[in-house]
Amino acid sequence: MNDNRILERVSLSEWLLPREGPMRVPGRIFADETTISQLEEDERNRVEWSALRQVRNVATLPGIVGAALALPDVHPGYGFPIGGVGAFDPEEGVVVVGGVGFDINCGVRLLGTPLRWPAIQSWIDRLGEQLFRTVPAGLGAQGELRLSIAEIDHLLAQGARYVIDRGFGTADDLAHIEENGCIEDADPETVSMRAKQRQFRQVGTLGSGNHYLEIQVVEELLDPEAARLYGLSENQVVVSIHTGSRALGHQIGQDYLKEMTAASRKYGIPVPERELVCAPIRSPEGRQYLSAVACGVNCAFANRQVIAHLARSVLVNVAGCASEEVRTIYDIGHNNVKLETHSIEGVSRPLLVHRKGSTRAFGPGRVESPNSYRPVGHPVLVGGTMGTSSYVMRGTDVGMATTFGSAIHGAGRALSRKKAAKRFWGETVVSDLAAAGIQIWAHSKQGIAEEAPNAYKDIDCVVRAATDAGIARVVARLRPIAGIKG
Amino acid sequence: MAIEQLEHGADLSLRITATTVEQAFEQAAHGLFSLMLDVVTVQPRETYTFHLEAPGHEELLVEWLSDLLAQKDLTGLVFSRFEVRIAPIETGLGLDGKASGERLNPKIHSPKIEVKGISYLGLRVRGRRGRWMVQFVVDV
Repeated sequence: MNDNRILERVSLSEWLLPREGPMRVPGRIFADETTISQLEEDERNRVEWSALRQVRNVATLPGIVGAALALPDVHPGYGFPIGGVGAFDPEEGVVVVGGVGFDINCGVRLLGTPLRWPAIQSWIDRLGEQLFRTVPAGLGAQGELRLSIAEIDHLLAQGARYVIDRGFGTADDLAHIEENGCIEDADPETVSMRAKQRQFRQVGTLGSGNHYLEIQVVEELLDPEAARLYGLSENQVVVSIHTGSRALGHQIGQDYLKEMTAASRKYGIPVPERELVCAPIRSPEGRQYLSAVACGVNCAFANRQVIAHLARSVLVNVAGCASEEVRTIYDIGHNNVKLETHSIEGVSRPLLVHRKGSTRAFGPGRVESPNSYRPVGHPVLVGGTMGTSSYVMRGTDVGMATTFGSAIHGAGRALSRKKAAKRFWGETVVSDLAAAGIQIWAHSKQGIAEEAPNAYKDIDCVVRAATDAGIARVVARLRPIAGIKG
Repeated sequence: MAIEQLEHGADLSLRITATTVEQAFEQAAHGLFSLMLDVVTVQPRETYTFHLEAPGHEELLVEWLSDLLAQKDLTGLVFSRFEVRIAPIETGLGLDGKASGERLNPKIHSPKIEVKGISYLGLRVRGRRGRWMVQFVVDV
């Protein structure tokens, strides 16, 4: 045993951060040895941005239940670590801005198509090019749907249903979005005019950074029964869309950082890091923030819905797919806070669960899953990098008991953007990927360098850590063949 | 006067040193837009004015930078020149600022990455006569 260890090993991929000082609960980290060693090294070196310190800080917040959690893709975030989960008692607990972040309900939409690989290989360039032309992406890109403030209010209250009613999608899409594409209790009055005005030109835009639209091939099925229920088959071509609530969500995050700073003071809540500003869930400030987050969540559902429908139109026009053959397999966010029911020591109780860079992963039988997926649980969509696999996973009973039904959302960065921009050259990344059979269309070469596959942890290791810990199971592995980046 | 990009796990962080707090705020804005595009190519064709208030320097910096981000989306403008005046007011500090720039043109301005928000993480404004340091992290 290494006496210098900060964390205690519980099992192959589960580690305990013992309760100490002002921590109300311990920390639990689900990760492989490599990730744990890095976390401990950062802590020992007292680096300014330490994910382990962030887990410890989250554990000090009032009303936290069980443990402050970090999942295998953990890395430093703002207040909460990315890959962080915190569940709070609705009566005694708090809602925390840093548990959601700026990109409210950033998430992934997966579209199934009737196309097969390698049948489309000879015209993948044409398909990628047309997707690049059709889906607005990158700094300053504007969407084709321009909404008045009154229309934005409807979108915030109704989510994906609003844009579907405007012709961007189908009822079948709605049935396969988390929460059916709309969280109730979203009061547009809780969102500032500035946030709404900023969204005016941004509905249906991809953004930049780690956001993407990818054409992928189902390379391997590891859970054929779940894959069948999800409508996935080997060599099937799918489209994956990773984006969030755009400027509206960013402005809600910025506005409420300020509001909740005042609320933390008002209620006398000690805040170990400024991004952990919070308010009691039952307080007027807490309820107002939760309503604003619901608006941001609905905005993100609508945003991905519009993009999905734009992609569908390209698949119809370029690939000759019938519109109804391009179906939403699932859409799920990974920056969220939601009131859910969980079984704690055999007792069912409501909890407010924050997931920052972590995906809800409800196992079999939960009513929140679409009917057809209920026997196995809903899909958990895990994004890879431009050059590595993405995964479709599903939740487990173990995950329900240990992580409040939460699993990973992606690979997690291994290199800072600064280091990646120094180490990689955008053109070289694109040509290397092309040589590996992955075509990239991008608005920014520097963005490509910062998002180089080698700037991220090995997604296969992250997925393995999640499966070793039992918090999720792999259903299918998806290989990228073309990518659109901002 | 210097702008330095710091290591940060997932996002981007800048540290600015300057001789006055106003210069530090101006350079922070310049640094912010440098993260997003080739700021040298942005001509100061249109000017926007700002009046902001906050209890202290750090909160004022967040107000200033997040206001610039909002103006980018609201007006379609990107900025390259900045002027800041900061003075005490009854409730803390007031900032009168100007930002000059032009409409974003991806063919000219070499867009890089979009900044989502200005974090309170690691936020610092420190200074005394003749030497000011500003540090902030942006979410991208």
